[in-house]
Amino acid sequence: MKKLLALTLALMLALTMVGALADAPTKLTLILRGGTYGDVIRACLPAFEAEHNVTCEVLDLSFDELHSKIALNAPNPQGEYDLCMVDGSWMAEFTANHVLANLSEMGYSFDEDIIPATTAICKVGDDIYLAPYFGNVTVMLYNKALIEAAGYKPEDIDTFADLKDIAEKTNAAGKMGFLIRGGSGDNIVSDFIPHLLVHGGWVVDENNQPTVNTPEFKAAFENYIELYKLGGTMDKDDIVAAIDNGDAALGQGWPGWYVPSADSNASYVVIPTKLDDADEAKNTSMYGVWTIGVCDNSQNKELALELLKYLMDPEVLLSTVELGGVPCRYSCLQNADVLAAKPHLAIVCSALETGVYRPVIEQWSEFTNTLGMEMDAVIQGVKSMDQGLADAQAALEMLMM
Amino acid sequence: MKNNAIPRRGARASDASERAFPRLMIAPTLLVMAALTAYPLIYTFIYSFTDYQYLKGTAAAQNIGLKNYTTLLQNGYFRQAMVNTVKFTLLAVLLEMSIGLLIAVFIKSLKRGQKLMRTLLLLPYLLPTVTVALSWRMMLSSNYGIVNQILESMHLPVYNWFMDIKTAFGTVLLIDVWQNVPFVFLLLYASLQGVSMNQYEAAKIDGANVVQQFWHITIPNIKNGIALCALLRTIDTFRLFEKVNILTGGGPAGTTTTITQFLYNYGIKNLKFGFGSAGAIVMTLLVLILSSFYIRRAIH
Repeated sequence: MKKLLALTLALMLALTMVGALADAPTKLTLILRGGTYGDVIRACLPAFEAEHNVTCEVLDLSFDELHSKIALNAPNPQGEYDLCMVDGSWMAEFTANHVLANLSEMGYSFDEDIIPATTAICKVGDDIYLAPYFGNVTVMLYNKALIEAAGYKPEDIDTFADLKDIAEKTNAAGKMGFLIRGGSGDNIVSDFIPHLLVHGGWVVDENNQPTVNTPEFKAAFENYIELYKLGGTMDKDDIVAAIDNGDAALGQGWPGWYVPSADSNASYVVIPTKLDDADEAKNTSMYGVWTIGVCDNSQNKELALELLKYLMDPEVLLSTVELGGVPCRYSCLQNADVLAAKPHLAIVCSALETGVYRPVIEQWSEFTNTLGMEMDAVIQGVKSMDQGLADAQAALEMLMM
Repeated sequence: MKNNAIPRRGARASDASERAFPRLMIAPTLLVMAALTAYPLIYTFIYSFTDYQYLKGTAAAQNIGLKNYTTLLQNGYFRQAMVNTVKFTLLAVLLEMSIGLLIAVFIKSLKRGQKLMRTLLLLPYLLPTVTVALSWRMMLSSNYGIVNQILESMHLPVYNWFMDIKTAFGTVLLIDVWQNVPFVFLLLYASLQGVSMNQYEAAKIDGANVVQQFWHITIPNIKNGIALCALLRTIDTFRLFEKVNILTGGGPAGTTTTITQFLYNYGIKNLKFGFGSAGAIVMTLLVLILSSFYIRRAIH
């Protein structure tokens, strides 16, 4: 009798353990960009976790750390991460080295609601590797009181000549007119690109050879330095603080940096598309769209794809707007309720429709580093414009050989 | 006679085991050292002659001879980083040693409150470098920083400390000195405890003033402590990275770029580990050269 009881108990224990193991939730690891970009994803996870019996671990990282960790994990046969957030500028490097799973092969496709221009960076040929998640695109931050004092309304700022006029008037009034972004090479280059685009220049030609010592680049850089002299150079936090507290009138930024409201001191407009009234309009907004993808060495690829589909769902994306999310979907950015609460998203939507991606080249990180260093030397007066651009061109030609 | 000339087999075996015993005892340490120090160093040296890119894998790495070294030494920004690093190291070590020594002597001379002062002085060194960098960044912010607000209220000129070519290097140097003076103080304070008071009393009787006592008694007695401390600070300062990376990113115009910051930007961040390895070897050689004086001093 005792033996039978013991056997029954042992059997029950074993069954309980098997049952517990069978019910154990699967763990997904998400590696994301810290700040609003990752916060909005984190807020959406509980519903997915409950529905799929999954627990999600989220790693919030800085820009460089995120790149390094995804890359360092890539050669491992069994990866640590399942879903990753990727900056568009890493796309070429990651797809060339099989870091990302081919989503098309896994059955994913884009719907028509996603702003088409934002998907350009997500594909290699017809194959999709990433989905555009957070609509980051350069915008022009302004202080409401200072541009009014300069005699402008936000909707009047439509040329780079207007920017200079506001900056000059603000500077004459004892405040900073225009702020440029300092720090790393990538920051400097990203901040400058809209100025280059409006002058009709670009950093590489159709064969991805550098074109930084050209008349267009030089003209754009001269105008950029003129604007800098009417303000100063700062890092991201200081640019936002200076414009918000009324120390500076203008500066370029990203929607993820600042969420304006009706009462806020600052807001943003689309970056002007023309040099002056006589100029033709060009695409000048630069994308910094944060995309999401599935790591090729994920141990839970199917589940990670489910999560990606869930996060890209229009309803789920709409719910992130309240938290500062900027979906790349028309249904979210043109929603009447959303626009009533956040009218600035109409501006973001326009910018997302006409934005320009950074060149899709494997060496982009090193390219911006090299170019940014030379540009910084010119801005700080260590090198002449001609010397700095000639040195940058030579160094970049070596890099792209 | 025969027995004296040729040792017995038992005695020979005993000698051999006596010789083998110490070797056996240090073998685990040697193995750990080989695994943790020699192995990575050798691999770094080997990779420095290749174009190893992490994402491409070691199988794709090709031997490119001295190309990484020539590219490195021909790069103007690397040369600037070398100059910055050496200049920063010399200034930081000199300032930290001088201030730390003065504080140690001052605290040692206190009749009361030595323990409290010791604890308070150590606080900056106990903070993580990232915390130190972020705190100083907030304090020196050109918008909301307390330092500029104080300067403004006193009608003094304000600066964009980390973005201005005139102030960035000095500001990073100041922060590094602020954080590391306590380390120097602690080591030299410990050395001072070993100086016999009899020597000072004898000097006083001979009519030596405070400066003479400091120069002829304090310094000679703690010179080994000073050499060791300078060696440790030199090696540590030469590797300066976090503060520069957080506060300036090496800018403006490369004026605060150190060798480690350069290697991070051009090698590690781009996953070009072959190039990064060459830089690491150059840096190791520079540290050895710079610290050889102290090492010789410490050994003697």
